[in-house]
Amino acid sequence: MTAATSKPPQRRRIRVLIAKVGLDGHDVGARVVARGLLDAGMEVIYTGLRRTTEEVVRAAIEEDVDWVGVSILSGAHRVLLPKLRRLLDDSGASDIRILAGGVIPQEDIPSLQASGVAKVFLSGTPIAEIVDYLVKETAHG
Amino acid sequence: MTVLKRPDAFLPPTTTEDVAAESARWTAETYSPAAAQSPEHKPFVTDIGIAIDPLYTPAHLERAGFDYLRDLGFPGEYPFTRGDRPGMNRTDPFVVSAYSGFGDAEACNQRFRKLIEIGTEQILVALDLPTQCGYDSDHEMATAEVGNVGVAIDTLADMELLFDGIPADSIKRIGTLGNSIGPIVLALYAALGEKQGIGWHRYDVNLQNDPLKEYIARGTQILPPEPAAKLASDAVAWCIEHAPNWSPMTVCVNHINAGGAGSSMGTAIALANARHYIELLLARGYSIDQVAPLLHMFPDERHDFFVSIANLRALRRIWARMMKETYGATRPEAMACRTTVYGHGQEALAEPLNNIPRTAFGTLAYVLGGATYVYLAGYDEAVSTPNENSARVALRTLQIIAHEHGFSDTIDPLGGSYYVETLTTQIEQQILDGMAQVERIGGALAAISTGFGRQTMTEGAIRRQRAIDSGARPWVTVNKWPQMPNVPNTAFRGDDKATGRQLARLAQVKASRDQLRVKAALAEVERATAEDCNVVPSVLEAIRAYASVGEIVDIWRRRFGSFVPSTGF
Repeated sequence: MTAATSKPPQRRRIRVLIAKVGLDGHDVGARVVARGLLDAGMEVIYTGLRRTTEEVVRAAIEEDVDWVGVSILSGAHRVLLPKLRRLLDDSGASDIRILAGGVIPQEDIPSLQASGVAKVFLSGTPIAEIVDYLVKETAHG
Repeated sequence: MTVLKRPDAFLPPTTTEDVAAESARWTAETYSPAAAQSPEHKPFVTDIGIAIDPLYTPAHLERAGFDYLRDLGFPGEYPFTRGDRPGMNRTDPFVVSAYSGFGDAEACNQRFRKLIEIGTEQILVALDLPTQCGYDSDHEMATAEVGNVGVAIDTLADMELLFDGIPADSIKRIGTLGNSIGPIVLALYAALGEKQGIGWHRYDVNLQNDPLKEYIARGTQILPPEPAAKLASDAVAWCIEHAPNWSPMTVCVNHINAGGAGSSMGTAIALANARHYIELLLARGYSIDQVAPLLHMFPDERHDFFVSIANLRALRRIWARMMKETYGATRPEAMACRTTVYGHGQEALAEPLNNIPRTAFGTLAYVLGGATYVYLAGYDEAVSTPNENSARVALRTLQIIAHEHGFSDTIDPLGGSYYVETLTTQIEQQILDGMAQVERIGGALAAISTGFGRQTMTEGAIRRQRAIDSGARPWVTVNKWPQMPNVPNTAFRGDDKATGRQLARLAQVKASRDQLRVKAALAEVERATAEDCNVVPSVLEAIRAYASVGEIVDIWRRRFGSFVPSTGF
């Protein structure tokens, strides 16, 4: 057995669950982001369409992810995102952070952040920007 | 003083070989040296991967094997390349259409009246997601979604209110998408005519009713694909018998292309879907001459103006040949491909007013390509239900294209363009190759079950994203003169008052209807479903009895189970 080296322990790869909640069926953006994060070396799981917030929480905990990235384009974000945060916290998973993407008005972003959504990326954001954010924030988390 | 006259023709006359030789000379002697001084400023390639030459000449047509009579013919005649109607916009103008819906029927009715007042000739009702997915407004899955992206329709009572003061025959066509609930929306429109005392032959109904593309691209699927396609074909079969003037199915390229497949592969997948529905109907004993006239196609291309024009022309040519050669159609109506289009550009979130020219150009391409029914996206449509102002601008843009600038004065004005004809032939080949590829993997259902459709889309979407991120495909305010995206606070904002009214109306209808009649009608739907009969007659009776959308869909969910969401990406 070798002695511990002075190098800091290698952190595991960033794990992300990409989720579609509610009835919104547009998942191209979600899949493109999923593929982009995978290409950037992260471990990515996609829930598929039309999941309840409860199902997303269960998957996030089972998969032991660092982040849940939720894509919403139907306007249901104001209800579903705070509910997701609450359910994660209630399940003892307050260390799992939430990213949101899609069609979300600027005016809604402060209240979403106040309810525990870490970051909102509007559609059109370059993938590299999302990757940079996740790398930086996961390290600091 | 000499008077300038047109020069005499060369003697002997110029041949295509002369043009080809001169064209090669021009490239070498004139274009290339200039391009060496001032290089081409970007890669010139279409979204569908066809490289664009600096200049097109008759030599291109010669290389493509272009033959006027074989490839073009005349409008309203086989192979319909130049148009599905004999006089096109001169005698039978494209139908100025609006896709609209939000909140509850009461709020939406006011918007419809306004749209008709300013000249809308066709209204397709945008349904909210719970309705599209077969949930009543009081279902748990409808939380925060009622009336958001369309109007909530639970029962016939909502339809009566939605079309209050709007007789079904007062505009050219009415309809909706209803992709996963085709027999139900068909019954709602049939029952509406009965309520208004207007016979089915006196008004026209158009449905999208194309469930197969939902699994690949749009996402409102409810059941597994096979029973969903059967139920959709029930709606077509019922119309053949009872309302052959209606258009109960519009097979969509739109969402498949927008999702990333590209317009050629999108068209190929859509045509495979069309073949699946057609073959279900032929197997039930209908002839292609009965089936094909009731179907429309919904082509789509939103990146390249000229590709859009060429795609519509190639699609009509392929459709005509498929109907005649593959299925043995004999009636011109069965070979003429009617098209519904929805004008988009590459809309951006920043500076949304710029989407007005974008959607206008996109729509103009469709009109130049000979589209039959034309919609135009509101400039704010990517982020919200169009407001009255953006809906009005969309409609006026269509009217301007129809009446100003001479856009619609002669038929197929770009027919014969060296570029457009070359593209039409190249795109025809791409679509035929795509169709052969889908055929090889086993057809439309296999394109879903093997993940072929979604994979094609994801790869295309990634390719597009990279082209935008790298700047290879310029996009004003996104990668050229970039601006912050702007999502207004009205984005798909639910109207709590409308939701309240909707829930109250649903409760009132459920409490006051003839419960025995509802129960008997739903039992009949269950029987027709179990015995694999056409479900439409029983669904129509249930709708007449004020059974709800969710109550009927629940029968199908119990019988067939739910779709399994794909987790691949």
